[in-house]
Parts: sequence; C-alpha cells; structure tokens
Amino acid sequence: MKPGRHGDRRTALLFLSPALIVLAVVTVYPAIWLFWLSLQQRIPVFGIARFAGLDHYQFLTVDARFWNAAGVTVAFTAASVSIELVLGLFAALALRAQCNGRRLALSLLLLAWALPAVVTAKLFEWLYHPNAGLVNFVLGGRQLNWLGDPGLALPGLILADVWRTMPFVALLCYARLLGIPAEVYEAAQVDGAGRFAMLTRITLPLLRRVLLIALLFRTLDALRAFDLMFVLTAGGPAGTTETLTVYAYRTLFQTMQLGFGSAISVVVFLLVMATAWLYLRALGREEARA
Amino acid sequence: MLFDCTTELRVGARRAAPCLIVVALVAGALLAAACGRPPAGSGPITLVFKHAKILGPTDPVGDLLRKFEALHPGIRVKSESLPWTTDEQHQYYVVNMEGGTPAFDVLMLDVIWVPEFARAGWLLDLTDSEPPAELAAHFPSAVDAATFGGRLWALPWIMNVGLLYYRADLLDKYGLRPPETYDDLVGQVRLIRAGERDARLDGFLWQGKQYEGLVVNALEALWANGTRLLDEDGRLFPDPARAEEALAFLRMLVATGLSPPWVTAADEELTRRAFGNGRAVFLRNWPYAMDLLQQPDSPVRGRVGIAPLPRHAHGARGAGSTGGAHLGVHRHTRHPEAAAALVRFLTSEEAQRVMAGGVALNPTRMALYHDPALRSGHPNLPEIYRLTLAGRPRPVTPYYLMLSSTLQPELSAVLVGIKSPREVVRQSRARMAHMLRDLR
Repeated sequence: MKPGRHGDRRTALLFLSPALIVLAVVTVYPAIWLFWLSLQQRIPVFGIARFAGLDHYQFLTVDARFWNAAGVTVAFTAASVSIELVLGLFAALALRAQCNGRRLALSLLLLAWALPAVVTAKLFEWLYHPNAGLVNFVLGGRQLNWLGDPGLALPGLILADVWRTMPFVALLCYARLLGIPAEVYEAAQVDGAGRFAMLTRITLPLLRRVLLIALLFRTLDALRAFDLMFVLTAGGPAGTTETLTVYAYRTLFQTMQLGFGSAISVVVFLLVMATAWLYLRALGREEARA
Repeated sequence: MLFDCTTELRVGARRAAPCLIVVALVAGALLAAACGRPPAGSGPITLVFKHAKILGPTDPVGDLLRKFEALHPGIRVKSESLPWTTDEQHQYYVVNMEGGTPAFDVLMLDVIWVPEFARAGWLLDLTDSEPPAELAAHFPSAVDAATFGGRLWALPWIMNVGLLYYRADLLDKYGLRPPETYDDLVGQVRLIRAGERDARLDGFLWQGKQYEGLVVNALEALWANGTRLLDEDGRLFPDPARAEEALAFLRMLVATGLSPPWVTAADEELTRRAFGNGRAVFLRNWPYAMDLLQQPDSPVRGRVGIAPLPRHAHGARGAGSTGGAHLGVHRHTRHPEAAAALVRFLTSEEAQRVMAGGVALNPTRMALYHDPALRSGHPNLPEIYRLTLAGRPRPVTPYYLMLSSTLQPELSAVLVGIKSPREVVRQSRARMAHMLRDLR
C-alpha cells in the first residue's frame, strides 16, 4: 500500500509541476521582486537607487495619506460587498420566482457585469452630473454634488460598484438555486413550513457555500478596487476616495517612486493574502462539514 | 492499432507542413515588426509622431504631416494618439521611455514634463538644431520651460495661458467693467445674481477637481496674492501667511456659494460646458474655450469677453499660468536628423499659422499674434498675446510631478473644508521634504 501511495504522489507532483512552475514564474517571482524593491529607495528618473531597509514601511506607519487610503479601502470593501451579497441574493430569488422573460432578465444582468469598469465609470460620470445628471433629476431636481462632496463621493462609488458587480453574485446564487430539487420544498410544504421558514431553513443553508465563494471573489476584487475611483474622482475630493491601489499607482507610475510604491503594493498584497487565507479556511471547514 | 497510429502520425505530418510555413511566415512578420522599420538609407524611413488628439472641428496635424512628407521625400510620418488626460499621457511616456527601444520618434510634451524627461535622459538635446534667432521668436516663458541645465530639450509648439472669461452682456447690463481684484469679482457676482434672480445662474467657475488643474488654479491664487509655491531655494510655500490667505479665499468661494459646490469635482470641460450654457457669470479657463463658446450654436455666442485673472490684496497683478505643448525627440530614435527636421517643421511659423487658423491653438511664436490674416478670424489674438506675455510658468523643476501629486489631495482638502489652509501648508511642506530627501 505504502509504496503505491508514494508512486501516486510522485505522479501527482509530475502532473502538477507545469502549473507550479508557471505559478512560480508569474506570481512568486514578481512577489519576491516586489518585496525586494520595497526595501530600496529607487526613483529611476532621478537616478536614485540605494538600499533603504524598512524605511518605507516605517514611513507608512505615520503616513496619514496611507492610513486614509487603507480606511477608504476597507470601508469601500465592507459596504460594497455586503450590499452586493444581499441584493444579489434577492435578485437570484426573484429570478427563480419569475416565470416570463427570465432570459431577458439574465441578459440584462450580464450586460452590467460585462461592461468594462471604465465604461461603467464614464456612464456614472454622466448619471452623477450635478446639473444634467439623471440621479439628481430622479431625486427631484436636487443639486447633490455627488463626486465633489467628501460625504457623497465614496457612497457614489459604492453605488456604481454595486450596480456593476451585483449581477455576478446574482448569477452564482441563481445557478445554485436551480440545483435545489423541487421535492425538498414540496416536502417542507407538506410539513407545514411557511415561505420564510423555507428561505431560512432550506434555501440559505444550501446557498452557504456559493455565498462564501461569492464573498471571497468579491472581497478580493474590492480590496484591489482601482478603475472606478481612478476614472470618476481620481481619488478626490481630499483623498476621500483614494484606495490603497490608487495611492500605489500614483506613487509607482505617476511619480515613479518604485521603492515606496512597492512598499504600498506589498501591504495590499499582504492584506489580500490574509483575507483570502481566512476565507479559504472557512471554505475548508464548510467542505469538511458537507 | 499500430498501423492506425502511424497513419495518424503521417497525416499529421503532412498537415503540419503547411502549418509550419504559416508559422514561419508569422514569426518572420513578427520579427520584422519587432525589429522596427528598415535601417536608415535603404528606402523610405518612417517616423512615429506621438501626440494628443487635437480638439475641434478639424484636425490640422494630418495635413501638416502630409505636407512635411511632400517636402521630405523618403520620410513617412505615422501619427499616433496619446491617451486623453494629461496624467495618463505622462504615465504612457514614463512607462514607454524608461525602457530602451523607442516606439516613437517625435513626442508631444506637456511643458511641465520637459525638465523631468531631460533629467531622466529620455530626450535628444536639440540645442544645436535650432538657431538662437529662431528661438527668440517664441515666447520667452515657453523657451524657458524647454530649457534645463542650460540646454534645449524641446521646441515650443502650442501656447496656453489661464484667463478670465466673463459674460460681457451681463456686465454691460449692470454698468460693470471686468474685475481687477477678486473683491471686485465677488461684488459683481453678488450684484448680478441679485439682479437676475435666476437660481440657475452661478457665479465664478474654476477647476477644483483633485488633479493637475487644481494645482494650476491654486498657483494662480498664490500669484494673485503676491506669493508663490516654490522659491529659488526650493522652499515650498515661502510665504505661508499669504498662501493661507489665497487658499482660504478658494474655500470661501465654495463655502459661500459664490462658486457652485460642484467646482470641487470640476475640470476644464465641465466648467466650460456650464459657462457655455449661460449658467455662470465668470469662468477661469484656457484660450481654447473661446472658440467653442463662439460656435454658431453656442447660447453665449457674442456675449463673452476675456480679461486677465484678478488679483488679491497683496498682489501687484493677477497672472495666468502658462502651459501648452512642446515637441521633443526620443533620445534613442533611429533617425535623429529626420525627427529633428519634423520638430522644426511643426514648430515653424508656417505650421503654427495653420494650427492657429484652423482650431485656434495658440502659437508660441509671438509674430503670429500680429498677423493680419489670423487676426481677422480670431479678433482676440492681441488680447491673448498680452495675457500670455504677462503669464507665469508653473515651477520649472524635474520634481514638478511629485510636487503636484503631493499637493493635489491637500488642496482638495482645503476646498471641501476637511483641512484648514494652515494645516495644508504645514503638512505639504513636511511631506515634500520627505519625498525629496534624496534629491538635493
């Protein structure tokens, strides 16, 4: 038994090796290089290249702009992901209950999801236009300063993000819902379960795993959010919509501070990795239970 | 079984032969593309000219390039567009010029990038390709902006200056003259809005979005109050008290409604459109707006005037920020002579006359502002000439982008009232000192 297992393991490794090598080349190597860069002060435009140790990280601990960006990133992620999950779930339930035009509804959902983020951003730029925008018109001709008010800019971006990615959650949930056999519900009905009981006792528990997967994907995406804020507000006003990735971009590509920018990127990387690890552990426990 | 396999293989081989030829052809084509154009001397050479899309009804650049090709048989010019915003253009260059192989030969540069790119060693030294007499024909501030370390790195192509647009019809109606001070401007806005009783008429529009345009507007506010952003020793906000006054005024405009709240998210086009729809009394913008405001279908056609930007209490006079575009040559171009010839041609008086006539891109050559033919089509040219001569360049430093990127969120924080001008002045100084610790 044992030698056979050994052989299996070796074969498995052999088959896995191309994928592992590719992963090592395209992710592990750049990640290590990024970390190495973050330990240096490098501004190629000015010919500066020296070892800086942990200087950049030390500065990050007192950098108000960094902490602001970290706060914006977390707030954006928490708000947009939770709203997307709830709305997506309801959209999926509504889709299942719908008898006519399901195909049309699905295509419309997909359209929002399929639009490139920059197109969505441009779309919302017009929707939020202070004088000519549809949003203010619908709100009764109010002159809300969506993208220029520090209290409204982030909610405005969250709304745009929810519009864009809620369909992803909805489609995932809908696909799972289709897999729940009707007999389960019929049996519950026979037992006298109401609509609410069926939702909380049958549907939601069966959706748990798919919701967790949706949560994982959406959280990782939202933590790296860039395009919407870059196009719509450029991080403004007063940096209230500047996420960590926007800050990293400005540092890396606009002012070419490769070392400092890499340090910010390393923090984003660690944040995403830690979140992914937590979710994967939760998923693993879920698998073990199932 | 075995038999099947071999036939399969043979069929495969026979099918593979034409495939291989195709692969070889494609690879050859890719290789040729990668190696770029044929070497100089053998047949026509191709220059790639990278520039921003020219706004307006007609794009004169295409015609100019065809003309250049006619004058220089053996040189072809391919024109390629840059991204839309100045930030994205800068990023495009930074990413593409840092590597060695040039994807383009001649490039359009925002004035603020010339010292940075020159210091990075990305531009060809053009000092010897342009006679001093030719240089003297351009606005001195444009030539200064292209000069770094005593050498010339680009030639001025398009001139820009910040100026004040006003609704001449409204000012006339209330017997007013264009404001000389910001106090006047505030008084006029109050008077006109009280008289017009139009809730849709805003006062003073300018650019307050968190981007480069905000830095330009803030610079003009500082100059108007007799101070500046950076002194000769590289000190930021050398006169903090005056700087704070100027910034506090910008905040006051937003807080009191003299400017609509949305200027904190406004760029040039957003403000130009609102003013063009007759919804504001004053607008700070560049000369390009004039032509668009005078289009036949413009609601404010014939009702717009231009004036110098006003001044504050401590300032001798208001000054608009100069800007515009220069043309440079990639340091590693394979055809330096041809590329320099194209730059000289496009910045020549003849080419600038075409540009100025067609879409009113203002020339950098001063003589053209007095050209009778041009003036008949663009009666504002003499006024713009005076404003440009009085204009001031943004700080000419290789660190300009770092400076701007540091200031943008800070200035925005003043406008929306999150930080006081005092905090912003203090924190910007500390931050800039940290960023530049290796550079002095």
